[in-house]
Amino acid sequence: MADTDEKKIHDVVMVGAGPAALTAAIYTTREDIDTLLFERGVVGGLAAITDMVDNYPGFPDGIEGLTLAENLRKQAERFGADIELGEVMKIIDEGKLKKLDTTSGDIYAKAVLVATGSDYKKIGVPGEQEYYARGVHYCATCDGAFYRDKRLVVVGGGNSAFQEAMFLTRFASHIDMLVRSTPKASDILQHDMEKYIKEGKVTLHLGTTTDEIVGENNQVTKVVGTKDGKKVEFPTDGVFVFVGLKPNTQFLEASGIELDEIGFVKTNMHLETSMKGVFAAGDVRSGATMQIASAAGEGATAALIIREFLEGRKTPQSEATEEVAPVPAA
Amino acid sequence: MVKNITIFTTNTCAYCAMVKKFLDMKGHSYDVVNLDEQPERQAEALALSGALTVPITVVTKQDESRQVVVGYNLAKLAPAVA
Repeated sequence: MADTDEKKIHDVVMVGAGPAALTAAIYTTREDIDTLLFERGVVGGLAAITDMVDNYPGFPDGIEGLTLAENLRKQAERFGADIELGEVMKIIDEGKLKKLDTTSGDIYAKAVLVATGSDYKKIGVPGEQEYYARGVHYCATCDGAFYRDKRLVVVGGGNSAFQEAMFLTRFASHIDMLVRSTPKASDILQHDMEKYIKEGKVTLHLGTTTDEIVGENNQVTKVVGTKDGKKVEFPTDGVFVFVGLKPNTQFLEASGIELDEIGFVKTNMHLETSMKGVFAAGDVRSGATMQIASAAGEGATAALIIREFLEGRKTPQSEATEEVAPVPAA
Repeated sequence: MVKNITIFTTNTCAYCAMVKKFLDMKGHSYDVVNLDEQPERQAEALALSGALTVPITVVTKQDESRQVVVGYNLAKLAPAVA
């Protein structure tokens, strides 16, 4: 890090330390680019709280999400990446430098990579907030152990819901899965789930909405939903919710960086945002495929683009005139 | 002044690893109660925190006052161990 006029100036600051940023950091640090990562949550992001990752290349038997995250962190730190535990509240464009308002004070960077990923959405029904962490959960690998031999409801029909429900079968006596329409999980996850359905560990309830989480004496007792226009009830000891992702971009709203209608960061085809010198990669980017492998690939791409940016090369993004727009994932 | 710190964890909890990493960075030692290995202590974690979640970090000060931090929450954890 170079100190100029008592400013802490880094070549690149990466906001987030999930697979995209950690991969980017492996690339930048190997080229002696001074790199600081800021992480307000878990190093490794959602990957770290995923039970098992079966679709990341190079691991024929799959790999635990936490182990993959740890390995990525160690690899980035091995080459000199510095991970700071804290939060970036705002990015301010000061021309050649970007000022980051952080919990550690003001930090300056020549380039910034936004790789803050996504978090699980809430359903937004009565009881959800009231029983948060006391019967309503969003992390199976964290909280599943509290439900040994208990009944559970899992809400959602995507990859995360199926994968985490299967993880929870190691604790729960039975799981009711409430799927609003039809399952969106991959064919292989749906195939894997068949085993648990046949064993009677999981019951799938398709076309079933989740309307309310009800409790008594400070404990969740049931979930009320609707199926075929009729009210249905599912007695349960706890509820795990996996109904999609929302981008972690609240801090960018105050930074003037353009977001799409859902809140994901818009970039051009060179991963540059509407603020020159600020790039985005991984799940936070509009058009991302929400895959760990894609995030890692985008992280590597971003690192190479940032290197060219820092070297002042005449790069496509430095002379880009095209409108910032969502593009397919790398 | 911190007298001792106990973290309730499980084997698969990524947020627990973050609490440990933060305390390591700050030079604090701590005891770990792994609820996968000691499930009989779940009730204790619940009684301390009112929450069915990990990590639960219990910070006991020299004056025996106690602060319980639920989850990986730097805004609460950092001042608790300062």
